[in-house]
Formats: sequence, structure tokens, C-alpha cells
Amino acid sequence: MMTPENRTAKFSGAAHYVLDEELAKIVNISMALEMPLLLKGEPGTGKTMLAHAIAESLHMPLIILNVKSSMKLVDALYQYDTLTRLNDSRFADSGRNVSNIEEYIKMGKIGQAFAAEKKVVLLIDEIDKADTDFQDDMLDILDQMQFDIMEIDRTVKAKNRPVIIITSNAKKDLSDPFLGRCNFHHIAFPDRDMMRKIIQVHFPDLNKDLASACLELFYRLRDVRGVEKKPATRELINWVRALQADPDFNIKQLKSSGIPFLGVLFKKSTDIYLASHH
Amino acid sequence: MFIHFFYSLRDKGIPVTPTSFLRLQKALGMGLIGSLDDFYSVTRSLLVKSERYFDIYDQAFAVAFRGMADVEATDVELAEAVKAMLSEWLKDPGAMAEALGLTESQVRKMTPDELVAHFLKRLKEQTEAHHGGNKWIGTHGTSPTGHSGTHPGGMRVGGESRNKSAIKVAMERRYRDYSQSGPITASQMGEALKRLKNLKPAGPKDIVNIDETIRQTMRNAGEIEIIFDRRLADRLKVKLLIDNGGWSMEPYVEIVQALFHYAQFQFKELEIYYFHNTIYSRIWHDPERYQKVVRVEEFSRLDPETRLIIVGDASMAPYELADPHGAIYVGQNESKPSLHYLKYLAGVFRHAVWLNPQPQDYWYHTWTVRQIAAIFPMFELSLDGLEKAVLRLMSKN
Repeated sequence: MMTPENRTAKFSGAAHYVLDEELAKIVNISMALEMPLLLKGEPGTGKTMLAHAIAESLHMPLIILNVKSSMKLVDALYQYDTLTRLNDSRFADSGRNVSNIEEYIKMGKIGQAFAAEKKVVLLIDEIDKADTDFQDDMLDILDQMQFDIMEIDRTVKAKNRPVIIITSNAKKDLSDPFLGRCNFHHIAFPDRDMMRKIIQVHFPDLNKDLASACLELFYRLRDVRGVEKKPATRELINWVRALQADPDFNIKQLKSSGIPFLGVLFKKSTDIYLASHH
Repeated sequence: MFIHFFYSLRDKGIPVTPTSFLRLQKALGMGLIGSLDDFYSVTRSLLVKSERYFDIYDQAFAVAFRGMADVEATDVELAEAVKAMLSEWLKDPGAMAEALGLTESQVRKMTPDELVAHFLKRLKEQTEAHHGGNKWIGTHGTSPTGHSGTHPGGMRVGGESRNKSAIKVAMERRYRDYSQSGPITASQMGEALKRLKNLKPAGPKDIVNIDETIRQTMRNAGEIEIIFDRRLADRLKVKLLIDNGGWSMEPYVEIVQALFHYAQFQFKELEIYYFHNTIYSRIWHDPERYQKVVRVEEFSRLDPETRLIIVGDASMAPYELADPHGAIYVGQNESKPSLHYLKYLAGVFRHAVWLNPQPQDYWYHTWTVRQIAAIFPMFELSLDGLEKAVLRLMSKN
């Protein structure tokens, strides 16, 4: 039986990331089974941060593929720079060999992850932006750990299977074949205790009373009815930072009337209005 | 292993697959799962692929493993359990004595009943000392010294540690909010509508058309000429017709508002019209249905590729739909029944759907709903229904 001690790489959190025990188990099992881990959850629950934290704690390079709606899968694999080649064939002064197409192939993010000499963490951020075909085809490639470069008839095989983290903001589900090939975890919004730890990690010197007052107010503001974009962890951290940076600020201000720096927490004018009048 | 649990998930409607079950076996075989807590998290991440099912999973898990971890054991049950363990224990009196905090000779002097009593007393002390301490008795006594055993090897984590068993976590039903039966939320609606788009070239020419560039360059005898194209942008035209009159639509105001809001956000070319109960020769641009009248016949001049979405409960008196003079407002003189206009609209727009905020189960009790559903494809105004409607609107034919 494998015990935690003899497993080589095991994820147990990083300097600026507070890891939920349940999530740690799921990350470790995904790495052991060599399966991509799909993370869902509302913005600000640290989905993207997790990949950074894994890379940091396991000392692996991190490669990030930011998915865009117009993206084609081949863009994530490799790019064939036809324009440069066309240009070189016209003005033969680049030093590149025009008849060697390989010189015009550049690796995309997935290609880089496959070609890397060292095991890497591959973060595929916001997969829900792409269409279903992109998602399914991508999983095919991540399953087989290889793809073909058609222009030069070459197969790129992954030297090391990357640790793959996929994030999605969507409330709706991805396609079944996609889900079938991933491990899945939904990150709930941190509760107060968890959030207190997160704040402690980011602001080790923060006064306890101030932290409590901020959290109290933060969770109350999240519950204001009708708010469209609820403030998340990122907003809270920025807000605390703003409060700290203000020399005139003192804790009494939070308890009395106006809340300072509401614009850091809320990004829409209607939300700011609702929050300041609740 | 755990095949019953697997099927209980399936029976409850979670789409678990055999592949994922085999993967779970692999994980078990690799020794990656050391405790029930591990099992709870890992199995969920392997088998359950949407937070909408997390709640059902929690319930199924609580039912399946409740007996294992003995959440609320009675004294009688405990005594039975201890007796069952005794025979096992007596093979190794030394270990037992240690477990009970007695010396070996003391144990030898005690009758089995005394032993049980002593054990239960010890157990009570333990329960009081640390909460949840009776958990180990339920593990069929293989670990009588009472190590909680929940995390062999102890994973070091910086964050919170839930001092609860997986069962207790499962019984909390933390994911109730996400379960599928819940009402549709505004943002879910936005997600569903996102799929509805019609991409056409628009905006500045800033994308290189490689094929055209090569062709043009060849025509220029090798002198490079780069050809640019416009980007694809969404140019879908949508007409949204909303039933905003009458008491029957009142309960659905919020959900229709959400649809309305996201539709405005999502579609560049959206026009919204209002009607009451059903459509006659006129509909209105203003929600009060008073000032801005639009004749339905004028719709025939619109692009037939326009998507028509009608929202209404389609419930009314039969004559409102079928009688030429069915309109319930005085002064609204009609010469044709509403059915005529509905069929007319369905004829003009190939891509038309009717969204009904009433649950589908109720539809077929109402004659008018059946009539309208025969003219327009009707979908429930729920996440599922909206997705199907969007699929229908995007289909090529």
C-alpha cells in the first residue's frame, strides 16, 4: 500500500494559498490517477490560484492557456506562421530555410506543456468560453497526450504528462464526454473561518478586531439583495489593502455610517448604490 | 467494491458511468483512499461531475454509510457491538488491557459482562472528552485503541480541517443550493442564452486571410499582398414577445424579468413586445400596452432569420384563442381568432419558440396550452427548457 510518505510529489498548499483539506485530497488523487481536474465555482473562490499554488509547492513550471471564445484548438497546440514564411520566400534574408516548414512552427500552450523537458502544471483557464467541439477535441488530445502537426507530418508526444487543472465559471454543465474524462470539484465560497485564514495569510500583521470587523461587513454586504456582482475574495483582499493604506482610517468608521472604498468591493454603480443604502 | 453504492447513485438519477466506477476501483487498488472521509471526497470527484448532483450524492452517501460510522448509537447497540468484539479481543488480552487502561491480571479477573460494562464506561468518558470519539466503535472494532483513524498518514494542510466525519458532512447537505430541482437563477439564464448567436463578419478588417493572401500574391507574381477580413461577430436578431397581463402570469414575474434582463444583455438586436394572454392583430412596444402599437402583419417584412421568442403561460379561456371576437378588452375589435395570428407568426419565422413558465406537468390539463403547443414548439422556462429552446432556435432547419 502506498502511504503518503513514499509518494513522491504531494500537494499540501503554498505560501499564499489556504488549502481546503477536501480539495487537497482531490488534487492528490487527480495527480495519482493522472487525470485532469475540472474546477468550478463562483469567481473569487481561488480556482486559478490553485494552479499557481500547485506549481509553486511542487516546483513545477506553470503554463497557462487562457481560453477565448474565438479560439481554435489548433491555436492551443501550435501555430504555423505562414505570413513570415511567405515573407521569407519573397525576401530571402532572414536566415531561415524557407523549404523547412519546421522553422515556421511555433508551439502553442498545450504544445509547450507537451514539449517541456520537465513535468509542468498546465492551467486551462475558463474552458467554458470555448465551444463544445473545442472542449471535446482538447480532452481527446489530453487523453492521448499527443497531437499531429499536419504541415510537417510530425507527431508531438508529451515527454511528461502534465498536471492539468481546468477551470470553468459557467453555471451550466460542460458536455458529457468532457466531464467523463475529468475529475470534478466544485469550490464553494469560503465560509468565515476559512476567509479569516485567507486574510491572515495575506495580512499577517492585521489587527484581529479590524479583521473581524471587515469580515463581518464583507459577509453582510454579500447578502445585500439585488446585488449583481457579489464581492469575492479578491475584492476583500484589495479592500483590506486599501483600508490599510489609508492613514486616516480607523476601525470606528466601519461601524458608523459610511463604508470607505466601496468601489473596491463593488464594480457596478447600481451595486454600489444598493450596498451604500442597505 | 461498493457496487451497491454505485447503483444507488444511478438510481437516484446521478449520471454515473462504468468508466468512472472502474477509475474508483483503480484508486482504491492503488491505496489512495485510506478512510471514509477520503472515500467521500474522492468518490465524489470521480463519479459526480456537476455540483447540481452534490446534494443527491450527500443524501445517498449518508444512507449508504450511516451504519458504518455509527452516528447515533444507542447503548444497547453499543453493548452488542462490544460483545461481538470481545471474542476477537480475547485472543490478545494484552492489547485489550492496554486499550481499556487496565493491567492484564485485572482483565483476567473480570467476567465478560463486567468487561462490557467497564468498556462502555470508558467509552462514555471518551465521548465526553472529545466529541465524535465514539466513531471508532462502528468500524467493527478493528481499532479498539480509539485512534480516530480518519486520516492515516495525516495530510498536512494549511487550511481548515473539518473535525467531522464524512457522514456528518454529507448529512449537512451543504450543496442543497446547487441541486437541480432548485429554481432557475438569473445567471443560469445568462449562461443558457449565451449559446444563442449568429456569427457574421463585422467590424474592422484586422484578420489575415491566408488563402486569399497567397492567391493574391501569386497573381502579383510573388509581390506580397496581404488580404484582411472582418472578424466574426454576433448579429442575431431577436424578437421577444412577453405576456405581461393578467393574474395568471403574476407568479412568474421575477423569472420573466430575469430572462428579459439577460436577453437585453446578450442580444445586440433585440426588440421586446408585450401582449395580454394571447396575440391578436396588434401587440405593443410599451409594457402598459397603451401607446406604441405594432401591427402583427408588419412582421412579415422582417428578416425571416429573426428568432422569435414568446413568453407566456398560454392559459386562458378557450374562446380567447378560438373565437374571432375573443379579445377580452373593449374596443379591441378583431375579425380573426387569435389562433390565426399565432399560425401566421409561426409561418413568418422559421425559428420560433414559446417559453412557458408553468411546469410542464400542468400543460396538458389546459386546452389552450395544447392548442398553442401545436403551433409553436413549447418549452418550460427552466434551465433545461431554456437550453432545449436555444438548441431549437439555433438548428438549421
